This record gives sequence, structure tokens and C-alpha cells, in this order.
Amino acid sequence: MNRTRAVLRKTAWSFFTIVFVVVLNFFLFRVLPGDPARAGIRDPRLNKDAIEVIRVRFGLDKPIINCFDSLNPVKVGNCAVNPLETQFFIYAKNLIQGELGISYHANRPVVDILGERLWNTILLIGVGQILSIILGAAFGVFAAWKARTSLEYTAVGISLVAWSLPTFWLAILLLFWGSTMGLPVAGKATPGMSSLPLLQQWGDIAKHMLLPTLTYTIIYMGEYTLIMRSSLLDVLSEDYILSARAKGLNTVQILRDHALKNAMLPLVTVIAINLGFTVAGVIQIESVFSWPGLGSAIYEAVIRRDFPVLQGAFLLIAITVILANLLADLTYTYLDPRVTVD
Amino acid sequence: MQTTLQSSTTFSRPESGFTVFWRAFRKSRTGLVGLIMLAIAIFVALFAPAIAPYENAAATSVGIADIYQPPSAAHILGTDDAGQDVFTNFIFGARVSLTVGFFAAFISIFIGGIFGLVAGFFGGRWETFLMRLTDVMLVIPDLPLTVVIVALTKPSLMNIIFVIGILGWTTTARVVRSQTLAVKSRKFVLRARAIGAGRLHILTRHVLPLVMPILVVQAVLAISLAILNESTLSFIGLGDPTAPSWGQMLNFAFGRGAMSVGAWWALVVPGFGIVWVVLSLTLLGQGLEQVLNPRLDTHHLMPGRPKVGTEAQAAHPARDIILDVRNISIHYINEGKPPARAVENVSLSLREGDLLGLVGESGCGKTTLMLSLLNLLPAAGQVVNGNVYYKGRDLTAMNEDEINNIRWSRISIIFQGAMNALNPVRTVGDQIAEAILKHNPAFPKNKVPERVAELLDLVGIASAHSDHFPHQYSGGMRQRAMIAMALACNPDVVIADEPTTALDVMIQAQILELLDELRKKLGLSVIFVTHDLGVVAELCDRVLVMYGGVTAEYAGVDTIYNEPKHPYTQELLKAFPDLTKPKKKLSSIPGYPPRLDDLPAGCRFAPRCPAVFDRCQMEEPGLHVLKNDHHVGCHLAEGSK
Repeated sequence: MNRTRAVLRKTAWSFFTIVFVVVLNFFLFRVLPGDPARAGIRDPRLNKDAIEVIRVRFGLDKPIINCFDSLNPVKVGNCAVNPLETQFFIYAKNLIQGELGISYHANRPVVDILGERLWNTILLIGVGQILSIILGAAFGVFAAWKARTSLEYTAVGISLVAWSLPTFWLAILLLFWGSTMGLPVAGKATPGMSSLPLLQQWGDIAKHMLLPTLTYTIIYMGEYTLIMRSSLLDVLSEDYILSARAKGLNTVQILRDHALKNAMLPLVTVIAINLGFTVAGVIQIESVFSWPGLGSAIYEAVIRRDFPVLQGAFLLIAITVILANLLADLTYTYLDPRVTVD
Repeated sequence: MQTTLQSSTTFSRPESGFTVFWRAFRKSRTGLVGLIMLAIAIFVALFAPAIAPYENAAATSVGIADIYQPPSAAHILGTDDAGQDVFTNFIFGARVSLTVGFFAAFISIFIGGIFGLVAGFFGGRWETFLMRLTDVMLVIPDLPLTVVIVALTKPSLMNIIFVIGILGWTTTARVVRSQTLAVKSRKFVLRARAIGAGRLHILTRHVLPLVMPILVVQAVLAISLAILNESTLSFIGLGDPTAPSWGQMLNFAFGRGAMSVGAWWALVVPGFGIVWVVLSLTLLGQGLEQVLNPRLDTHHLMPGRPKVGTEAQAAHPARDIILDVRNISIHYINEGKPPARAVENVSLSLREGDLLGLVGESGCGKTTLMLSLLNLLPAAGQVVNGNVYYKGRDLTAMNEDEINNIRWSRISIIFQGAMNALNPVRTVGDQIAEAILKHNPAFPKNKVPERVAELLDLVGIASAHSDHFPHQYSGGMRQRAMIAMALACNPDVVIADEPTTALDVMIQAQILELLDELRKKLGLSVIFVTHDLGVVAELCDRVLVMYGGVTAEYAGVDTIYNEPKHPYTQELLKAFPDLTKPKKKLSSIPGYPPRLDDLPAGCRFAPRCPAVFDRCQMEEPGLHVLKNDHHVGCHLAEGSK
């Protein structure tokens, strides 16, 4: 009924989900065997004192939560400790202050490392997402409009194949092709470019972005084509399209004024749900093309077992996806007049 | 046909869901191709040792010379970074990928299925809790979480299967819940409950069989996602080193210089395997989906079939005849089947200011006939004969642009069931304004709201409702708004296609009164399509009675009521209560209207006709013209005056 209430409720749920992720992120890294700090201090060359110094540095001397000194293996501890002195609260406090710990590998604050990379990922996802949505929607519209023609079958066939492609494999193939074409295949810019004028720098970045963006676009375009097509087919068989025709509107007017908005609605939801998958794609694309973003940060952190970076990157990605979902959800509420609470 | 299908599934439990399912699935070419591709992949995985030229992981002495050898007779797909045969590893890789896919999907479907069934069937707190959990899990990105968990644990095949499986249940839970909710309210489940069947019994015997097909579709999708996820994990170095999957092969080749030595075979082949399996599952899923949610083949923007048959005849209608339909025949063309002869040789003339009633049972071709007047037939419909003259111009000969100028500005339609005839995401006022501006581009923009308000006022809707959306209107208001929209461009002719069918009796009366009043006020000529003879008697000047796509009888309203000549009209009148003879028994006509693609050889009414005789079975009756412009399509009327 009440739109404000719907917005408040959705926002509250997103907030709850973020809290859930934050808690999950903490315990995941403490319950599972590959404990973040322990992995770093397992080095047999370290003596007891050195280990203690490291333990204090990473806050591992404190109990995880009240009653538990450790969760893997489970070690019951004192329940009467000040809750503010537990690892969990220190983690939460640091998080609120924007601290995500220190990278084992780079020995720099994780926040700094991820901060540099976040924008590169947003750039890649942003451009790729816009291109794939525009192209996918356009192909979807054509496929639905020209239903039962070879145009539709071709569009659907290509989309299904694109959907089935493993992202990293397509990235590898394009990398192969790009290298024979003389395109830059790694990184975000040619070294030493920063001395050149801004316009040339941007041109260089655009060249580097070409292959990663192309991969991204091909992978997600197929899905958008399929969704747009099926959604538009549903809309075009509705009675109000017949009304629009009876009103004397021509095909272009009907598509533009009566069909597209209605058909776009499911697409908005899918774009939101897709953001989670999108992240999966970005990890692969960035790893193959060494694009310095969050995805390759995850890849490198996995290879180096750099758990603070992995933990931070996961948190950042999860929160971004949750917020983007909320945004899409609210857009939907705004677009569709029929949406009511629940 | 669709209604009978639906009702049969509603009232009785289907015999075997899967027999029905398979019969429908066989028709989907996409699904069959997918199934065959998947079968090949499974076959390869099962008989890998027999197919592969070398024994698996036969780490034969690796010399520098063996590494990245291009395809040759000994190694038809070349060798990899360890000098192993790519083809052999490719064949064995199928085992790993499919194992992960099937087992992980099984876990996902199991969890998701149980959550969905419990939430949908038991409802209450369980439902709230499970669905909230699903919502939360749904927005947490899968793969990064999988990566984190696998990175923290041992990357063994078991772990990978388990993690992918446990994180993949959310979509299934959602879909299964909504299907369970739908099944739960079906009649046979309610009946089983009423006779006291236990909940578990209902769940396993009645609900589960109907949720099963959805689970199968979900499983197919889950397998493909699991395979893709496993390959991604392997590619970023989190695969099980003892189980070389396709993703693992790619990881090794990519990480160990296949790119720099140009060993494309080591990169292309494993990827091809993944694409093959995932594509097969996607196609299979599409096929299954088509069976579960069959979609109409056509939509309203598909190009119609060009008219065939008679070219424009000399048009010389009487001056006061505004719409003249002559001998029109319409067929629905189904590839590979005989056409459905929906309308055959029907003529009618609408005089200026008249109200013509078009009466007949559902499916007798009334709506088809009306749609053909404005060239609005669905894609399968084709005018195979006849012409439609509006003020002497042949509408059937016009192209789309020409007819667009006639539509709504000269002839408009009030559709039945206005809920669906109005666009749900645009305000009512906006939709009326659209019609005005389309046909009068010069209409001053600032005067449009005024005109919309005026039109709404005409049908008794306060102009404040102009900004509302159709779903905010009641059924009667929507029908009124539809009428206002039909009048927006001051048309000469209004076709009202069963405008009151979906409304309750009081509202029906109001709408009819309104229509009649507007007709008189605005001097409209109206064709009124209905199956309600009472309405016809009250309002109409002339009446066309259709049966099975042909004219049964066509005459002035008094003639139809007082001297009906066609047995069908006579039967219809008997089925209609006469207030002057309250004691008279009402009768209904036994039998059903004919199927338009399987018509009887002679008269279409013969199987139900009380006055049937031999000739009716053999020969289609012609249209006989009696006095007072009285047309009767019956052998009995032959020769009478």
C-alpha cells in the first residue's frame, strides 16, 4: 500500500543482510581450518616469543567471543570477559572505523589495497553492464518482435551458447585472439603512461579495457537477450497490445509506449539478481587479463593465501552486491505502479 | 481446449505426471537436442577407459620433447604442459565435471526442495523463517563465498561438491515454495484434507508428484551451474589436484605457458567440454521449461496473413449504410492441419445510427469477425474471401498505415474484459490522451487533460481518477474507462465486443444503459456482440445470429423475436426467459457447438438440430432471403417468402 513503508522495510532487510554477512565473514575465517592468522604463524622457524608478538599484533591473544577462546579447535574459555575485549567486537569496531586488517603479502592495510582496486572493478562492471544490457535488450526486442523467424532462432541460439560459455575460457580465447591483433592484453595501462596528457592516458586505458569489456559483454548479453525476449513475448500477447493496435498505433509506437516498459520490469529484477553472478564473472575476467580490480585481488589472495585481503574483498563485494540489489529493488518499486507492500 | 485441460487437472489427480510430461517434451526440439548431447557426455564419462587412447594419468616419462606437442597421429589433440595426451585427459575430465555437477546439484535440490516444500506446505513461522533465510542467502554472492570457504578448507573433490551444493539451494527453495502453494489449493488436495488424510500422506502422495517436474528443471539448471562453478574454482587454483577436471586442465595450460607457445589445443579442448555439457543442460532446461509453461505461438505484433480472394468489387452501398461487410470468410491456418473455418460467408450492413446485435455461443466466430473488420486478426487468421466497406472504402484492401488512420478515429472497439485491455503500467487518463493525440496531432497539448476529463465525465467517472492506474479501478469503472477511450476520437462506428460479460448484473445494466444513451447522444452506429438475447431485444435494431461461423439468421429485431425461422434461433429463444409467460419451462440446447477445424459435412447445426432431416447431413444450406430483409441459413426456409 504505502510506498514509504515498502522502501523502509526493504532498506531494513538489506541492513540486516549486511550485518549477517559481517558476522558470517568473521566466523567463517575462525571456524574453518584455514584460520587467517594461524596460517601465517605456522612457520616452524618462529620461536614462542615471536609467535606471541604476532598473536598480539593480530589480536589473536584475545578470546573470540565470550566463553570461547578459539572455535577451531573449540577451546572453552572465560565467560566473564568484557565483551568489548573479544576479537569479535574488535573486528566489528575496526570495521566501523573502516579497518580491514593488514595484508600478509603486501604488509599494507587491506583497505588501501582494495580501495585502489574497487574503482577499477566498478569501471569494468559499469561499462560492461551498460553495454550488455543495451545490446541484450535490443537483441531481445528484435527476437520477440520477429518471433518465429530465422532472426529469432539465431538470436536465441547465440544467446544460449553465450550463456553456456565459461567466462574464463572466453577470456582466454579473446586473449589469444587479442594478442595476435596487437591489442594490450594485461593490466590497466601501459607503464610510464602517467607522464602523457590525460586524453592519451584515457585512450590507453580504453584500449586495455577493450578485451575485458568484450568478454563481459558477450557473457551477460546472452542472458539479457533471453530474458528480454521472453518477457516481451509475454507482454506482446497481452490484450492491451491488441487495444493499442486497435487504437491505430503503429508497431514502433506500440513497442515504445506499451510494451518496452512492461517488459523491462523483469529485466530490472534479473539485473539485480545477476549482480552476484556478475561478481563471479569479474573474478575470472580480471584474473585472465590481470585487470587490477577486486576480482584479481581475490584471485591473488587465494594463490598467496593472503586471508585478510580475501576476507576484506569478500566483505566489500558482498556489501556492494547487497546495496546494488536494494537499489534495483527500489527502482522496481518506483517503476511498477502495481507494486505494493509484500 | 485449454479450459478443458485445466479443469481435468483441477478435479482429478493426473495418472502419471511423467508420461504426460514426456509426451509433451518429445515435441520440443531444443530439449531433445540437449538430452542427446547430455547422453553423449554421460556415455563418454561412463566408458572413459574404453574411449581414451591412453590410460588415465599415465605419467609416462616426460621429456621436453613431449610438452605441448601439436595434434598428431599419436596424440590426436596434442599434449599438455606435462606431456600428457590432451584427448585422454579430456575424456577423463568428463567424469570429474559430471560427478561434481550431479552430486552438488543433488545436494542443492534436496535442501532447496525440502525448504520449499516445508515453507509452502506448512506455512506459518517455518515459512517466514525459511523464506527470510532464502532472501538473505540469495543476495550474498555465491561464488566469492564458495571461493572463501574452499580456500579455507582442503580443496578436495568432496569439499568442492559439498560447498557448491550447500550454497546453491536458494532459487530452488523459492520456486518449489510457490509451486507447492499453487498445488496446495488445488481441489484434489483440499478434498484429501477434507476426508482427513494425514499431512505427510498429502505431501508425499499428492503434492510431491506435482512439484517433481519443477524440481527436475531446477536440477538441470543446478547441474550446469555447479559444473561452471567447479571449473571456475579449478581455474583459480582451488581444484582437487588429484581429480583433473576440465577447469583444472585449463588452469594448468593457462598458468604454464600454453599461451606463449601457442598451444591452442590445450586451451580450446577442455573449454569445449564445459561448453558442451553446460549447453546440453541449458537446452534441456529450455525444453523442460517449454513443457511446464507452454507459451502461445503468436503475439499481437506478428504480421498477419495477406488477404486472398475477391478483389474490391464495385462499391455501391445504400447511402445511409456506414459499414458494409460482404461475404466475408476467415480461416485460421495451422501448419500441417486443415484450416479452421472460423467465419464463412457472413454479410451484414450497419446503417448510420443503428445498433446491430451479433448473437451466438462462445467460439462461434463473433470476435473473429469483429477483429477482421479492422484488420486485427491474430497472425494465423486470414481473410480468404469477402470485403469490408466503410463509407464505400474497402478496409480489407488497405495497408497498415491506411488502416491505422481508420482505427479508433472512425471505428473503435470496446473490448471484453477491460482489465486486460488497459495497460497496467500507464494511467487511464494517459491512455485516453494517447488516442486523442495519435489521431489529432494538432490537438492543443494543454487542452488534452480537459478533453480527457470531459470523456471520463461522459461515462460517469470523476476526472480526479484520470491519474489512477487500471488496477485502482473497479471492474465497472474499467469498462466505463474503456468506453470513454473508445469515444476519444469521435468515431462513427463503435464495436462493443461483449462489454459486460465479466461484470455483475447491476453493473451490466448500468453499462448497457450508458452505451445506449451515448449512442443516441453522439449519433453512433454500434455493433453489439453478446450472447445475451435479452440485451439484444432491449437495444438492437437488427440482429445477426451466428452459429459455428456462419449466419444462422439475420433480420430486424421484431422479426427475430416474433418469426424466427432458423431452428437455432428458435431454440435460443426457448432458452431465454419470457416475462410474459412465467410458467413456461426454459430449455437448453443439448450438445456443443462444432469444432471449427472439424466441421460436419452438411449443415453445421445439424448434429444438434431438433428439425434435422437427411438433406441437412449432406448439403450445406444456402442463405435464403425472405421478406423484410430476413436472411435464414436453413434448408427449411427455402422457397418460403
